[in-house]
Amino acid sequence: MSDGTDHRPGRAVTAAAIAVLVFLQIPVLVVMLAAFSTTSYLTIPPKGLTLAWFGKVLADPTYLAAIRMSLILAFGSTLVSTVLGVAAAYALFRRTLPGSEAIIAFLMAPLVMPAVVVGVALLQFFSLTGLRGTLFGLLMAHVVITVPYIVRSALASLAGLDGALEEAARVLGATGLEAFRLVTLPLILPGVVAGALFAFITSLDNVPVTIFLIGANQTTLPVLIFSSVEMGIDPSVAAVSTLLILATAIVLILAERRFRLHRFV
Amino acid sequence: MSTLTFEALGKSYGDTEVVRDISLTIREGEFVSLLGPSGCGKTTILRMVAGLVEPSRGRILIGSDDVTRLPPNRRGLGLVFQSYALFPHLSVTENVAFGLRRRKVAGAELDRRVREALAMVRLATFADRMPRQLSGGQQQRVAIARAIAPRPRVLLFDEPLSNLDAQLREEMQIELKRLQRDVGITTLFVTHDQGEALTMSDRVGVMARGVMQQFAPPEDIYHRPATAFVAGFIGRPNRLAGRVVRRDGAGGRVRIGDRVELAAAAIDLPDGAAASVIIRQEAIRLAAVGATASPSDAPDRVPGVPGTVLLRSFSGARVQYVVRVAEGVELVAETGSQGAAADLAPGTAVSLNIPPEAVFAMPPEEPAP
Repeated sequence: MSDGTDHRPGRAVTAAAIAVLVFLQIPVLVVMLAAFSTTSYLTIPPKGLTLAWFGKVLADPTYLAAIRMSLILAFGSTLVSTVLGVAAAYALFRRTLPGSEAIIAFLMAPLVMPAVVVGVALLQFFSLTGLRGTLFGLLMAHVVITVPYIVRSALASLAGLDGALEEAARVLGATGLEAFRLVTLPLILPGVVAGALFAFITSLDNVPVTIFLIGANQTTLPVLIFSSVEMGIDPSVAAVSTLLILATAIVLILAERRFRLHRFV
Repeated sequence: MSTLTFEALGKSYGDTEVVRDISLTIREGEFVSLLGPSGCGKTTILRMVAGLVEPSRGRILIGSDDVTRLPPNRRGLGLVFQSYALFPHLSVTENVAFGLRRRKVAGAELDRRVREALAMVRLATFADRMPRQLSGGQQQRVAIARAIAPRPRVLLFDEPLSNLDAQLREEMQIELKRLQRDVGITTLFVTHDQGEALTMSDRVGVMARGVMQQFAPPEDIYHRPATAFVAGFIGRPNRLAGRVVRRDGAGGRVRIGDRVELAAAAIDLPDGAAASVIIRQEAIRLAAVGATASPSDAPDRVPGVPGTVLLRSFSGARVQYVVRVAEGVELVAETGSQGAAADLAPGTAVSLNIPPEAVFAMPPEEPAP
């Protein structure tokens, strides 16, 4: 420590922190263990050890279609949200718009409002406009719930930026677009990537909004898991959940390595 | 290299006029400073030249080109920011190359000109560093190299030395001046530091509340201030409440307190008016009463003002005295730290020689800069 004092937490704090972490992660461990059980029902601890449920999930056209749908939605909405969110944050940051505070509050609203309310509202809106059950409607719904993450992380990154940087680029001969692309964007990129990952994960595991808007013959993975659990559980649900958990963990670890993600959350 | 001309240049925000009809021409290769307290409009002028603020009135010409409405990237200027504004994600080399690349300079020519610019600021060995690995002074040099590498028509500085410590700042003043002379580039330098402005400039523009008070060589600014504001802003002034006794041409006589009457070189007020009397600390000569005046004090043009030393403070090269000249009237006088006048103990009765050139009277409502 540079100032000569010891800032390490005491033993009690460390123990409490570990206890909380374990408590929070137990459900995840339970699900992952259950996926390897040889029984045809969910049980903890698992009896026997098998990868059969993973095989079953990956051969099941319903699951595959749901996974495909979830990935299309997650990638699509993240892409759209990132472009729109960064553009919005940039405009708000430059203060070229009147009422920036109100616009920020509006863009952040989906984070604060109960997801069920958002789902019902969108359901009514889509019924009126004929978008109900369409992929486009679903994509837009996911953009609405993911864009706050992008706006928030982009605004936070922009706030840490010296306003003179873009001016310096302009005076050195860069057009407005070049100044953004060559100076501002690279500097806010880690924050934007962090926001995009949260957007991706939010879209990937959303149930409460999606379930209202999904069409009759389509479904996403979390909605399918949700309805499978309702109908009676077999370990294939645990297996597909395990796949979802692993995919999320891998993405987060890679992002942490590459962009030191924890600075933005 | 070009001239830089302002024609009745002005800027208002709503009803607030921050720059009022400034007209002047900076000659080719000239080093001009804009000097004034914060909020005087000097930075706004610089930002209008750079194209970062749009003028409300008037024109800006570089050479004979009207650039008033051009975007910043098409003005061909160099600008060094107070914060340096180095691109933190780019190496020193890429920072310096940034402006060159925008001008489509590439390959061996690019390398050569980056190296040339870095050599000019004596940073050739730092080419591969990142900005965060450099000290403040080194970052400052990179910022300068980045600004001069594209060979701008005019170089602008926005308080570039204010983030450096005192010693480094003085070094950089001399280095900057030398660099500017070697490159021969027309330069506009904005600062609130009179030492900086006087040391480096061919001409200085002193500004207050959006108005150009005086635009002249440093010697004129110091010795022949055109307005009371300039007199009060330049040098180290005492400011005392007083009254104009009698005008005589530009100058006359002023009184401070009840009894002390002084000759003044410049008075901006009518006879009898209440005044803020400016007396430059560094121009006052003082000697213990009864001591023989040194030869340099010989031609006593004015009878000495009697006073008593209250306080002496020693700061290395200089000694400052607080001297009471009348009940409730105290002056600060400054002298070199060598010689008889450097060692007067508190309580010593002294005689102050105050030359008229160091005395000015300005309207009392003039806010202190």
